[in-house]
Amino acid sequence: MPYFRITLLRSAIGLPSKTTGVLKALGLRKRMTTVYHPVSPDVAGQIMRIKELVDVKEVENAMTKEEIRDARRPERGYWVESRRGEVLRGG
Amino acid sequence: MAMFARTIRSSLLETRATLPPTFLLPFRARITTVSHTLETGNVPEPLIQSGQHISKDLKSKIQAAKDARASASSTLSTSESSTQSRTDETPSPLTPSIKKLLPLLHSQPAHYLTLHIHGRPYLLTKGDTLRLPFCMPNVQPGDVLRLNRATHIGSRDYTLKAPEPVKGTLDAPKRSFYLDERLFVCRATVIGVESEPMRIKEKTKRRQRHIRRVKSKHRYTILKISDMEVKSLEEYQSELERDEERIF
Repeated sequence: MPYFRITLLRSAIGLPSKTTGVLKALGLRKRMTTVYHPVSPDVAGQIMRIKELVDVKEVENAMTKEEIRDARRPERGYWVESRRGEVLRGG
Repeated sequence: MAMFARTIRSSLLETRATLPPTFLLPFRARITTVSHTLETGNVPEPLIQSGQHISKDLKSKIQAAKDARASASSTLSTSESSTQSRTDETPSPLTPSIKKLLPLLHSQPAHYLTLHIHGRPYLLTKGDTLRLPFCMPNVQPGDVLRLNRATHIGSRDYTLKAPEPVKGTLDAPKRSFYLDERLFVCRATVIGVESEPMRIKEKTKRRQRHIRRVKSKHRYTILKISDMEVKSLEEYQSELERDEERIF
């Protein structure tokens, strides 16, 4: 099922409250937030109202907020080789 | 400036004294071992030429290897991730430059590594004490950690570098490259937890006498680099072979 990936690039400060309302309805709160909505005429109409503020791309799979966060997270870079107790037992 | 020049000269003289005989060190001081981790065939020509000062025969060797490599497949140990997610790669082909220069790097002890913990770089050598900027969860004093993400292995004259990270865009995630973790062993012991002096921030509101005092006292984990070892070429090759056997 295809989705719209919508990213808010420009803020709606100083714009009519109708525009702000559309952003709120889409779940876009601040700049650079990304939301996924299924491709449907309703969502397409909403995007049309705020097309100057957002970046839209059609993608195959939606990502949850947690998935987006995980995708951005760098690698941990370490692993625990031995615990304190193990060392004592070994020596 | 004069002092700086003198220190350089003295350091050069020093190295000459500590290093193995000169026939083992044909090119001095200006070489860097850049790993062509992207597989030599994929690296554009200008990059090979500009990145480092390598001798002509090494260049021709790379050229020859490129042709040979066109058919051979390289082993890439890429961490599994979807196309959307940030990729952290540790490719590990045994490039000609690694074959040639890793013994030289290995022959100069006292190495440093640039190790990455949670994506932040720390330049460390053996015996260093490191105060992390956070309190590491689920570890106790006495635990031994293995640090396995490094971008540089260096000695006095040679440096093995991982490729530069590629910045992410809206469509392509960030790609960061690390050195193969079989090239080195780095252990860090957790020494303890340190805390900063209590900070008190006074918060005021307008037209009110009340002052709110916010206290903060952060805790930081202290690590000590207990073991740092760069593998020799033979050890590295044998490890690669062992891993290949495990795969097939």
